[in-house]
Amino acid sequence: MNTTPTHWPRAIALVDMNAFFASVEQRDFPSLLGQPVAVTNGLRGSCVITSSYEARARGVHTGMHLNEARHLCPNIVQRPARPEVYAAISTRIMQALHDVCPDMEVFSVDEAFIDITHCQQLYGSPTEAARLLKQAVYRASGLLCSLGLSGDRTTAKYAAKLNKPDGFTVIPPWEARERLRHVPVTELCGIGEKIGQFLANHGVRYCGDMEKLPISVLARRFGNPGRRIWYMCQGEDPEPLHFDVAAPKSIGHGKVMPPNTRSRQVILTYLQHMCSKVGARLRRHDFEARTFWFGLRSERDWLGEKIRLSSFSSDHRHIYQHCQQKLNHIWKGEGIWQIQITALDPRPAAMQMDMFASEPEQLARDKQLHLTMDKINLRYGEFTLSPARLLGRSDMPNVIAPTWKPDGYQHI
Amino acid sequence: MKFQIQRDNLLNSLQQIIGAVEKRQTMPALSNVLIKANHDSLSLTATDLEIEFVTHLDMVIDEPGEITVPARKLLDICKSLPVDSQVNITINNDKAMIQSGRSRFSLVTLPASDFPSLDEISSNSEFELPQTTLKDIIDKTAFAMAQQDVRYYLNGLMLEVGSKVLRAVATDGHRLAYCEKETDCELADIKQVILPRKGVIELARLLGSSEDKVKVILGNNHLRVQLNNIRFTSKLIDGRFPDYNRVIPDDGLCVMTAEREVLKQALIRASILSNEKYRGIRLILEDNLVRLQAHNPDQEEADVDLEVNYKGDHLEIGFNVNYMIDALNAVNSEITQLTLRDSNSSCLLTYPDQPDCKYVIMPMRL
Repeated sequence: MNTTPTHWPRAIALVDMNAFFASVEQRDFPSLLGQPVAVTNGLRGSCVITSSYEARARGVHTGMHLNEARHLCPNIVQRPARPEVYAAISTRIMQALHDVCPDMEVFSVDEAFIDITHCQQLYGSPTEAARLLKQAVYRASGLLCSLGLSGDRTTAKYAAKLNKPDGFTVIPPWEARERLRHVPVTELCGIGEKIGQFLANHGVRYCGDMEKLPISVLARRFGNPGRRIWYMCQGEDPEPLHFDVAAPKSIGHGKVMPPNTRSRQVILTYLQHMCSKVGARLRRHDFEARTFWFGLRSERDWLGEKIRLSSFSSDHRHIYQHCQQKLNHIWKGEGIWQIQITALDPRPAAMQMDMFASEPEQLARDKQLHLTMDKINLRYGEFTLSPARLLGRSDMPNVIAPTWKPDGYQHI
Repeated sequence: MKFQIQRDNLLNSLQQIIGAVEKRQTMPALSNVLIKANHDSLSLTATDLEIEFVTHLDMVIDEPGEITVPARKLLDICKSLPVDSQVNITINNDKAMIQSGRSRFSLVTLPASDFPSLDEISSNSEFELPQTTLKDIIDKTAFAMAQQDVRYYLNGLMLEVGSKVLRAVATDGHRLAYCEKETDCELADIKQVILPRKGVIELARLLGSSEDKVKVILGNNHLRVQLNNIRFTSKLIDGRFPDYNRVIPDDGLCVMTAEREVLKQALIRASILSNEKYRGIRLILEDNLVRLQAHNPDQEEADVDLEVNYKGDHLEIGFNVNYMIDALNAVNSEITQLTLRDSNSSCLLTYPDQPDCKYVIMPMRL
């Protein structure tokens, strides 16, 4: 790869995990390595959600019926999807990328754009920074990814497609136009059949044809997105990355418990542990919530319930108190494997004061207490200051992804 | 049933009552208007089971009877007929025949017996006051009512009748509007009712600015207002309104006076760059100066300085700018006065020339 250590006006990388779910299966079950694998929704699912490269080589693709895939590839191995595992790995990968460069846009569960314009100097060059991103993915997940690097997101995405499954393709911005010249326009992300047909009718089949077409033709037909297409085809997609992640739909924490836990005290310790984490995380983002999901996983399924506080709160003590009251309702002494507490309706903490709020002085005192506690814990480590019960907490690392929740919207 | 009516009279009556007819109904009769033709009068009734309008017209009826017809369709037909035209309404085989000039319509009907009526109201106390007074007291307070708050008793306007006085209070917990008016009524003890939001809005729509008297009847569960030829009835919210006296501050160290219109325009200017969702604005009070600051998530900032009359300490306080603008819009006075204590306490907004109105706004933490 010839890399130029000069400063790029814009440097955008796209990291694309290859056949993500299938790769995770092959990683976790080495017997699947080298095998054609089809991931389906449970063992009853008949639609191929994704397939390994070995299967793809035989013509299997996402969305195909399993019977059809078996026809093409009789020895294909069906694997039921493990969404919580994928979510956890995805979260870890995204966090690792974020650690390298925080200017990122998570595009999907297995794709992220990273704008390395501002950190290229820090890492020496855009190419160096991109290499670190690729390493970070491997270190976080043990998985390979394809990386495309260019001066705009469309060219970066195109570059990432060029070399799979372990690609690293750099198209310097000043070469983008030439590199795209002979690429069919429909190869670019965002140009579908309809737009492709429109362009073909105007004599544009390859990106290089675009310069002959006045931008106004596209603008008249498609408005601003049309203008964007005109630039995209010439390696100058102006679309910025969208760093602002939409406000979280939920904030939760869960933990695997010692298998078949039947001790109320142990469950309460885990409960307090999770409530403290959820409370602290709500406060860190200056959020509060009123509705929480409290779940305990027994051998068979989740036992859980929605818990509604009387008012919006980020106080772990309130959350714990309400959950504790519901414990006997949810749990009848079954063996428990896992616990989950999720704030379902987080919103920015009330800035507007209410004239009928009960005991405003108490609220102010609590706020000060939490502020102090959070500061201490930020400085000296999580749970330096915590409820006494947490002295007996689990020292297991967090294995469940923070974004994952059993009844969440983000089931993948 | 058979009668002839001036299109304008019918249209006017229908427009007065149509507010009670909800667009979507579970009960078919509720999208209809009840037409009752007696020998010498016609009455039209519309209800959503919470509020009810009845209009009354003295006129000659050819053939008495009662029936219900789709309210909106009848209104649309009336609207579309030429001004000053005559409308003939007859019932024929369960269909209402509407004829005017060379246009003929036939509408589906439901029997009058299907039409629900509100429970009889027992009058506990009644009093009269000029229409304009009632309208004014509602206009100055109703904007502060809550909307779909879990504290259901806030989703309405509290009316309090005492000896020679009528008070209205509305609050959503973030701000409170208070207004009182002198009346002629002599009530032995104070009576408090909460009129639900929809009733308040429809009543305000009905009232004009004439000096004509309206009669207000307070029942246990209803409030009824009788205008010239229209009767409005609303159910009441069964709940305890919070003690407003407790939250209206009676003193404050920092008093600022400003021209109402100037302050309002300055707030509107600064608010352009406030957060669209939370509408926060910072007021910084210094010697004879107030500085208004707003910023939004795009890091854009507005800074508006305004000369005011203020001699207190330096004070910074945040508010939802909409609440301030609402309170400044409610009263048409030259001068407004803000009384503050500190950045965590409510602000009292008053008008020296209209001591009957008080507005309380809770601050925001910014």
